[in-house]
Amino acid sequence: MKINFSLNGKGTELDVDPMSLALDVIRGLSLTGTKEGCGVGVCGACTIMVNGAPVSSCICLVGTLVDKDVWTIEGLAEKMPELIDSFVENEGMQCGICTPGQIVAAASIDSAGVSTSEEIRKYMAGNLCRCTGYQTIVSAVEDHLAVN
Amino acid sequence: MQSTETEFLVPTSVSEALESISKEDAIFLGGGTSTALLYKTRLIEPSRVVWLGNVGELKGIFASDGEVKIGSMTTAAEIAANRDIARLLPGVCTASGVIGNARVRAMATLGGALAHADPRQDMPPALIAVGAEVSVKSSLSTRRIPLAEFYEGFLETVLDPDELITEVTIPLVANRRSAYIRYTPTSEGDYPTVGAGSSVTFGSDGKIIEAASVVLCGVGSVPIISNQASQLLVGTTGDDAALRRAAEAVREIVEPQDDERGSAAYKREMASIFAFRSLKSCLGS
Repeated sequence: MKINFSLNGKGTELDVDPMSLALDVIRGLSLTGTKEGCGVGVCGACTIMVNGAPVSSCICLVGTLVDKDVWTIEGLAEKMPELIDSFVENEGMQCGICTPGQIVAAASIDSAGVSTSEEIRKYMAGNLCRCTGYQTIVSAVEDHLAVN
Repeated sequence: MQSTETEFLVPTSVSEALESISKEDAIFLGGGTSTALLYKTRLIEPSRVVWLGNVGELKGIFASDGEVKIGSMTTAAEIAANRDIARLLPGVCTASGVIGNARVRAMATLGGALAHADPRQDMPPALIAVGAEVSVKSSLSTRRIPLAEFYEGFLETVLDPDELITEVTIPLVANRRSAYIRYTPTSEGDYPTVGAGSSVTFGSDGKIIEAASVVLCGVGSVPIISNQASQLLVGTTGDDAALRRAAEAVREIVEPQDDERGSAAYKREMASIFAFRSLKSCLGS
């Protein structure tokens, strides 16, 4: 089936099985910044942005992306370099496997109307990190949103 | 990978969607968070999928004097962020805001969640406690089912294969308060060990309870409704002693199983404790 959507700001047409997972389709396009972690929508490593909201690409059927505005870490890194800088400056990563998902989730925060530190923690709770202890990630997001 | 591609239809109206479902083993698809998991593990292999994402008439939240209607393709995030829901149905607001994580809430739809019928879901107890009813359509008929009578077993509902959930209606009742609370021992995004939805309706004097409801998730194969707890609360002022008697009744009716979220005995205790706390939260203390 032909599927049209916007990927990282560019109109894209793919001929794919609509029941394939967005994660597999995106990685198949050499956009390998999106990682597979748990595979069941819990860990957040595969987070992509769809119409401004964070989505687990490992449980997202690609057919549901028809006409949507989809962003991956590759596109967001170009679009929002200051967010990447904030993660670097706050050392909001260690091994790196969760980092693309953390950044895509953070990039989606504005649209959710999150503004306080507590709200940031709640919003980011769905992105698991087994290294940092989270404080540096939260600091990176707080700096980015200028929330203290 | 499967050899033949699943037929993927994208109707733009309810009538078109109902016509599209006529094929045997066709399914409706909402946000896809649960369906993707079932499909990935090949627990389901539909030959046709009817995705409802472009059916505008299934989306939206409409509050009027006597009721609130929520379209079946409204997402959990939209429900959690809605001001009318927050003001009129605090239990429903809380439940929709704690489902899974932000990513799941952005995709998961109300209709999809109800049809999926996992007994650990947060929304059913909150909705049943405020008397929600499910509107269902097929190409031949229309019916409205109390959510309290909607579930038949683990992942099983009273829906026929060709029936589509179109909306959920929640009656607004004067002097009613409602709440939902849950307990998750693992990560914040996990299903709860137990979740407790409740509502308490006072009579016109504002002192004596006229109606009450206590509903639990995570402690049975379907949402557990304690009619006895309701009866024990009616006619009281909602004092702690009455709440404790109601919570005791909950302990007797739940049917929990051992799993990684706790032993059956532990869940039974927690069901009673969280029923008490949910009622307490209803009463604003």
